[in-house]
Amino acid sequence: MNCRSEVLEVTVEARQVEEAMLALLHTILLHRSTGKFHYKKEGTYSIGTVGTLDIDCDFIDFTFVRVSSEELDRVIRKAVSEFKDALSNSGSDGMGQISLEFYQKKKSRWPFSDECIPWEVWSIKVNVVNLANEQERQICREKVGEKLGEKVINVVEVINRHEYLPKMPTQSEVDNVFDTSLKDVQPYLYKITFQITDSLGTSVSTTMRRLIKDTLAL
Amino acid sequence: MAHFDTEYQRLEASYSDSPPGEENLLMHVPEGAKCMCDTHHKPILNLSDTQIHTFLFSIGNDKNGFTCMLLGEIFELVQLLFVVGFTVFLANCVDYDILFANKFVNHTDSSKVTLPDAFLPVDVCSARIRDNAFVIFVLIISGVFWLHRLVKFIYNVCCYWEIRSFYINALKMTMSELPYATWQEVQARIVEIQKEHQICIHKKELTELDIYHRILRFKNYMVAMVNKSLLPVRFRPPVLGECVFFTRGLKYNFELIFFWGPGSLFENEWSLKPEYKRGGNRLELADRLASRILWIGIANLLLCPVILVWQILYAFFSYTEVIKREPGSLGARCWSLYGRCYLRHFNELDHELMSRLSKGYKAASKYMNCFLSPLLTVVAKNVAFFAGSLLAVLIALTIYDEDVLAVEHVLSSITLLGVCITVCRSFIPDKNMVFCPEQLLRVILAHIHYMPDHWQGNAHRYETRDQFSQLFQYKAVFILEELISPVVTPIILIFSLRRKSLEIIDFFRNFTVEVVGVGDTCSFAQMDIRQHGHPAWMSEGKTEASIYQQAEDGKTELSLMHFAITNPQWQPPQETTHFISQLKERVHREATGAPSDTNPLSLSESEPRSLIANILGPSTLTSVHFGRDSSLTNHAAAGINDGASALRSLSPVSSSLHLRGSLSAAHRAAGHTSAMSKGMAGSGTDARTVSSGSSAWEGQLTSLVLSEYASTEMSIHALYMHESRGELSRHTWHRQDSDESSDSVPDEVRSEPNPHSRHFPRSHTFPTTVASPSAIPTSASACATGSTTLGQEGASSQSSTQRRFSGSAVRSARVPMGGWAEDGQAAPRHHDPLPEESSEDEMPPHIHKVNAVRCVVGMAKLLCARGPRFSDV
Repeated sequence: MNCRSEVLEVTVEARQVEEAMLALLHTILLHRSTGKFHYKKEGTYSIGTVGTLDIDCDFIDFTFVRVSSEELDRVIRKAVSEFKDALSNSGSDGMGQISLEFYQKKKSRWPFSDECIPWEVWSIKVNVVNLANEQERQICREKVGEKLGEKVINVVEVINRHEYLPKMPTQSEVDNVFDTSLKDVQPYLYKITFQITDSLGTSVSTTMRRLIKDTLAL
Repeated sequence: MAHFDTEYQRLEASYSDSPPGEENLLMHVPEGAKCMCDTHHKPILNLSDTQIHTFLFSIGNDKNGFTCMLLGEIFELVQLLFVVGFTVFLANCVDYDILFANKFVNHTDSSKVTLPDAFLPVDVCSARIRDNAFVIFVLIISGVFWLHRLVKFIYNVCCYWEIRSFYINALKMTMSELPYATWQEVQARIVEIQKEHQICIHKKELTELDIYHRILRFKNYMVAMVNKSLLPVRFRPPVLGECVFFTRGLKYNFELIFFWGPGSLFENEWSLKPEYKRGGNRLELADRLASRILWIGIANLLLCPVILVWQILYAFFSYTEVIKREPGSLGARCWSLYGRCYLRHFNELDHELMSRLSKGYKAASKYMNCFLSPLLTVVAKNVAFFAGSLLAVLIALTIYDEDVLAVEHVLSSITLLGVCITVCRSFIPDKNMVFCPEQLLRVILAHIHYMPDHWQGNAHRYETRDQFSQLFQYKAVFILEELISPVVTPIILIFSLRRKSLEIIDFFRNFTVEVVGVGDTCSFAQMDIRQHGHPAWMSEGKTEASIYQQAEDGKTELSLMHFAITNPQWQPPQETTHFISQLKERVHREATGAPSDTNPLSLSESEPRSLIANILGPSTLTSVHFGRDSSLTNHAAAGINDGASALRSLSPVSSSLHLRGSLSAAHRAAGHTSAMSKGMAGSGTDARTVSSGSSAWEGQLTSLVLSEYASTEMSIHALYMHESRGELSRHTWHRQDSDESSDSVPDEVRSEPNPHSRHFPRSHTFPTTVASPSAIPTSASACATGSTTLGQEGASSQSSTQRRFSGSAVRSARVPMGGWAEDGQAAPRHHDPLPEESSEDEMPPHIHKVNAVRCVVGMAKLLCARGPRFSDV
């Protein structure tokens, strides 16, 4: 519970899903990435640059800015295409949600795995519509473009608020806050998950965990 | 080349395309980041506020550290194994015929029977165990139980470890000082580190109320549900009359259904499922809840035998040893589980509740002991007589010739007779005891803060006693209830709770609010007078609550006062602040008896003096009144002065209490004690008192006195609120059939929104106008003489922590002027005055004592330990 959660909602046509998702995820990640840290000595570091790239969408009248990092792009694209496939497999009126979660890692001792503590979750709810004719598609193309523009401004507004961000780590702990696996950019640790259809509710596993935990705490 | 050595800021610069020479942009890791790495925001706010609290207090209260706690748990596990093993061994592997000498052992060398002779051989023994299905069953259950305990133990160790590191790294408390830390200190540090590290990321600052909400989320719901009588805990079985059944098993089931079980109303620890927040499909949700309750009830029914055996074993393991050690403990009483829910304020932590209830324990058990049945007494006396004579003869014979002991069953009959006499004696009341329940109940109220209105004035009735015994039951009854709980629980779930499912759904929908950074909490716990106030409890005109929304028994108001008093730094919303200050001021006014109607501003604005100082202030002036009594009262006057000065020396602290916030800052500050003593010395003659007691004082003064002071202040407020509430209801009734009410009363009733406050016993009538000549001296002397007894016994009846304050006499004597003594008025007010109230002068000391206790309620706690000097007279 101790994390911010933002919800964005978009209604798109099936072929627009991928680009819309990419646009939003990349926009968020653009603002949640820094250049690579180069530690000089303990507690002092310099930050590398981050290049940006304009991307034009094919199916939407929209252009967005992303970090010019092919690796990052590849990772995101992979996640989004999985989401798209799952969505198209699910049936006609696809509803889905993709969430981008920023977290911090907490190292634990041996028998336990590292803990991930989220501090910000962006959930993008997608509503897929089917359109009958070309004219409607044309209208939709423009409308989705406008909507996405609004969302981007929305994202920037949220990010501009002075709210909690993990503190800058020392060299030894940089892995707990930032994803350092990429060569040219260093986003905060993130995780992309998706969910098809609105099956929100307590899953069996969480209930069981809770049951056990509470029995123990009795 | 730029070189920043500032705090971290957003790195907007680095997003620009190509800042020249960016390679050399140097940043510094800010201070504090290092410790942050160990102290993620997780431990406190995600996982385990409750655990922080339990951990602290399980350590703090037993005054032992982490290792001791672990050792204790390990020994518990070992003990469990031992008890099970030993019981099985005794039942199956011992040849009792040999022990009882019914069978002879054919030893060749000697005729002595040794212990090993009585043991059966291993193979026989194991065969017997294997053949006995019941033993196997018990063994399996205990095995499961033990494994459960083991897993729980391991889990606890992990949690404790995590929290321990949180304490050490984030709160910067060492393990050595932890046992001596108070909850207030810990809380202050949590608020502190929130500013620094933002452990809760939703808001910049964390208030005390947020922390309490986090810890007590579900408890607050339970308290509110009990308060609104939503939970089926009262029953009317055919024979027993009305009774309350609320056991741990039942509570566990309630929590399972509402809060965390599969398909419960909460989707996780902090938020209610969204569908329950909407009113639309409440009927459908109620149906779903009802069927869930049914299933859980059936599961309970199926598991009933297992749970029953478990309960019996558990009770056996936990209580046998205690009963053997002190058989009287079964006759002792304890606060029932229902009582704890009923008496708990919103946002009151366990340790706060327990200390409050423990303080009331003595008075409560005394009150219950008032009601010994005369019939039983007669029977008990005679049984004791016969048993005693038999015992005497046996003992006499034994003394004459000890071979009597060797006769079969003589020893056992001596033991049995002894037990019998002990039991009988507990039914025979103390010869010197006097039946004065009204005052005792008042003392109890000062600690427990809640009681139904109709108890006032009816304390001597059996109905009141029976109802009180629902809150304060015999330990034996408690154990018995726990034992039958597995059988009764499914019945309650299936037949009572299921019918309430719609009400429950409505309750959760209507009384849940979402608080940023805290999640969904019970709206009662917000303690908002406007939403949940009850007009009869001082919040008239401020509350907009419908009857459904009002908390019963003035819960909102009293909780609010309690929270504000225990957490002086808490900054409530505007209106609430207004309510609190208004009430406080009113209590001050009534308590001091100052004619505040003339200049109400002078009191509230000139200097925010403490309540106690206010109470004491006039007392010095009016101590003259005692002068005409015996030499005793001269001492009393001296005592008053001492008391006044001592208490006034407290007032710097308490005034800062009123100035909100400065208190704990001062209290943590290093220079605190010096500031204190400066304040003390400031009041001239007080220096003597201060110096006499200061060594004992100064060390403890900080937290101990302050918390004690807070509880005293709360007692006074609780009494005041009950009093004025009682006045309201009694007053209307009073005017109808008796006409001794003063002439101005009807006008006041009409003109004033809060007429009852005017009729609160105003003490300034005591010293200035001699209103009813008989009343004043008696009540005054009652308190004066009472205080002598207080010196001897009263001290022991009060909180033991106070005893270390050595000092002089009789604070209690000045209390009649303080404002709580309306004994004089009490007599005419009741229509059926209790006999002893009319004849206070001839009363045996006991009643005086109680009177005094009642007079000094609360305040005397600080002081009565100073009695001894006076009692020497």
